[in-house]
Amino acid sequence: MTSRWRGSRAARAGLSIVVALAVFATIGPLVAPHDAFTSDFTNGVSPLHTPIGPSRHFWLGADRIYRDEFARLAVGARLSLAIGMLATLLATAIGATVGVVSGWFEGSEGTRIPWSIGIGSLGAVVLALAGHGGWAVLAIAIGLAVRVTGELARIEPLKRGPRVNVDMLLMRMVDVGLAFPFLLLVMAISAALDHTTATTVVLVLGATGWLGTARVLRAKTMQVRSLDFVLAARALGRSTPGILLRHVLPNVSGVLAIAATISVAQMILAESILGYLGVGIAPPAPTWGRMLYEGQDYYLAGPWLVAAPATAIIAAVLGFHLLGEGLKDALGARD
Amino acid sequence: MLSARAIERTLVALATSLVVLGGCNAALEAPFAAAHPDDETPRRGGTLHLASIADIATLDPPIASDMFTSSVIRLVYAGLVDFDRNGNVVPDLASRVDEVDDGLAYRFTLRQGVRFHDGAELTASDVKRSIERALSPTTPSPTASFYQSIEGYDAYASKKTPHLEGVEVEGRYLVLIRLHERDSTFLPALAMAALRVTCPSAGESYSPSLSACGAGPFRVMPGGWERGRTLTLVRNESYFRPGLPYLDAVTWQLNASNPASQAFKFSRGEIDVVRDLSQTDTIRYEGDPRWKSFVALEPVHGMQGDSMNTEIPPFDNVEVRRAVAAAIDRDHIVMLKSSNLTAVTKPVPPGMPGYDPHFEGQRYDYAAALAHMKKAGYPFDPATGQGGWPAPIVYDLARPSLQELTAMSMQQDLAKIGLRVQLRISSLPTLYSLTHRRGKSQMSPQGWEEDFPDPSNFLEPLFSSKSIGEEDTLNYAFYRNAAVDDALARARSERDPAARARLYEQTERVICDEAPWAFEFAYRFFQAHQPYVRNLHGHPVWIADVTDVWLDRERDAVARKEAPLLRALSAGLGVAR
Repeated sequence: MTSRWRGSRAARAGLSIVVALAVFATIGPLVAPHDAFTSDFTNGVSPLHTPIGPSRHFWLGADRIYRDEFARLAVGARLSLAIGMLATLLATAIGATVGVVSGWFEGSEGTRIPWSIGIGSLGAVVLALAGHGGWAVLAIAIGLAVRVTGELARIEPLKRGPRVNVDMLLMRMVDVGLAFPFLLLVMAISAALDHTTATTVVLVLGATGWLGTARVLRAKTMQVRSLDFVLAARALGRSTPGILLRHVLPNVSGVLAIAATISVAQMILAESILGYLGVGIAPPAPTWGRMLYEGQDYYLAGPWLVAAPATAIIAAVLGFHLLGEGLKDALGARD
Repeated sequence: MLSARAIERTLVALATSLVVLGGCNAALEAPFAAAHPDDETPRRGGTLHLASIADIATLDPPIASDMFTSSVIRLVYAGLVDFDRNGNVVPDLASRVDEVDDGLAYRFTLRQGVRFHDGAELTASDVKRSIERALSPTTPSPTASFYQSIEGYDAYASKKTPHLEGVEVEGRYLVLIRLHERDSTFLPALAMAALRVTCPSAGESYSPSLSACGAGPFRVMPGGWERGRTLTLVRNESYFRPGLPYLDAVTWQLNASNPASQAFKFSRGEIDVVRDLSQTDTIRYEGDPRWKSFVALEPVHGMQGDSMNTEIPPFDNVEVRRAVAAAIDRDHIVMLKSSNLTAVTKPVPPGMPGYDPHFEGQRYDYAAALAHMKKAGYPFDPATGQGGWPAPIVYDLARPSLQELTAMSMQQDLAKIGLRVQLRISSLPTLYSLTHRRGKSQMSPQGWEEDFPDPSNFLEPLFSSKSIGEEDTLNYAFYRNAAVDDALARARSERDPAARARLYEQTERVICDEAPWAFEFAYRFFQAHQPYVRNLHGHPVWIADVTDVWLDRERDAVARKEAPLLRALSAGLGVAR
């Protein structure tokens, strides 16, 4: 593995970009000569009353309201990296769970869900969403009552219903989720929130970004579950959760690591887009997307206001992507 | 998930745009000269191309509230009276206006033979119908309250009478409007958009429609309003002023919200007049001798500031409001776009009756602001950052970028006196639903642009308790002061200009002191036009006063230049040409 790793130029480039970003995020705000949130109406202003360009005191110039662009870029790096990684952690956790469970139960017999219970629960969900909690409970009760009546009175049609297994249930959920364009979904949720903080952005991105991971993990799990050592564990009477944790998960972790690394890049990009469109973290937080938005009308007078955050976004996305590709090579997951 | 390919494409696009940005910093294009600069004889024909950062809200006169919409409506619909270039009220559809009964009524003698766009003749009964249609209780008119002084208004607005009693048709060309009290703002209000005369086909009451029919100098081209995209008006051939307008058509690019792209189109002659330039472009145009005669900074017509809801803590405490008014450094705010912003410390703009040049208004004074916080019971220690108002203050705003910038400057100022402001950015409709309702919004940026040049137009809607409404308040601060209400009512019916001015001066002092708003700045538009646009003047009220504008442009002389963007792109990418 290590030799493959060393052989991949892309992987090394990706790793160095990511490390450089991490270093920048860690020490950038500490060495910046100014605070990222405070305007400097004396030194940050050019004689024409425009932000001053890159200089000895303002390494990357000043922004539209005369704050230090370098300090903001560095604090923005912290935000972007933290949000990208935390959101990925959340998305990967959900995606891995759903994927592994789904893949394991693929093709299993499942349980028969009588129409009465199915329709009753569906009705309950609709009613609950419409804000009629009482009626929702009633819908479930009626569904149960019909089922129990069927059982007691031995009326066969009332017992009928489709067979549903966990895999089908989870994958249909994933299908529905994937039917929405990812960014549109994220934007809609963010726009509906009142005051967006870093935590809400992480939650929104994490809660919507796991779908692809789940699909990949399901496929890999289906491959792994038919291998001999899994069959052996089963024959020895290990419980299903035990097998999933001890035998399946370790064997899909490579794929998981690759998916997660590439996901960080996408989360950073998504967070920037949210910031750019104004539904990300509320100002004055310096997210890269927001900095790009604030600087765009000014690109003639202060190209650095666009160039700095744009370069940062490009570097971060590129870095994590290259790293992910490198991992793919190193782990031999190409095929 | 985005595919690796999509990401690659995005990256390439981003990198390319960076190269383009780097290459774009070129000098200003030269103006396109007029074909006959020394000939003042107006020429007919041509289309004037304009751009606007917004769309018009409606083509129905009573619904209009913003200046752009009202200005377009004014080109399509004629009114009994209008504003001239000095802001004076002058007869328009009326050939003469007579004051009768000691100012308690006005008699309007209409021009004869005026035709609507659909060919029907405009008579006195059309005037009455249009006024009743505009003030009907079923018409959601945001400006209806300007006409409260018409006799029988209350009964008509509450559906007690089927007709508006104060408007009488005295003959085919004679209309009398009676008022229940003298109202010095009635004629200016009449010159606004709302009561302009609509065709009989417009019907008895308002209905949302994309077409328009009036008797103004321009007609809306059929299908000429594509919401959010373009608006085209064409010449009304039967306009009652012979020979006017000179232009064949006026067309706007709507929602042209990017100043850089407007500047680019202007430099290529794709739009003929530009009002929304960035600070850098403004400075470049201002400083370029070739453009000297074709640019102008408009005078102050309005003001903007922060409205503090006096019914929600901590702003129910007058000392906290005074602290805010003293803590905001207006010079800093002006520096955010110094080409267009002017500091403002009081509600009424200069040049109006009742504007007192000796009164300072609200002043930046950090020590005083801290003292006010202490008096309010929330002392703040700047050294330790301890104290102040304990909870965050939610500040509602929408997304035009200038307000975001001023908000972030204000946020820094207020943090220094212990008020921690949180910005809540919403869409424009959401913002309106928050700020126009009681108890929904703590603090928000607000502004007022004059409808007509009179202090009452600023003070009454914003600070009179009469304009407080549960669902559609204009008094965003929910400010209530009996003395202010009383002075405003007296000023409205006062006929002695000096006494009237004094009343407004007093009111302004009270309002500046009690600070329902912190007054901050005024935005002055900077307008540049190509030299071939002739007879274009600024107007104190209307935005596009183009009825007697004419074009003197050589055929095909324009838009032949190589696009600078293309040039920059090819240079940046190293394309051999």
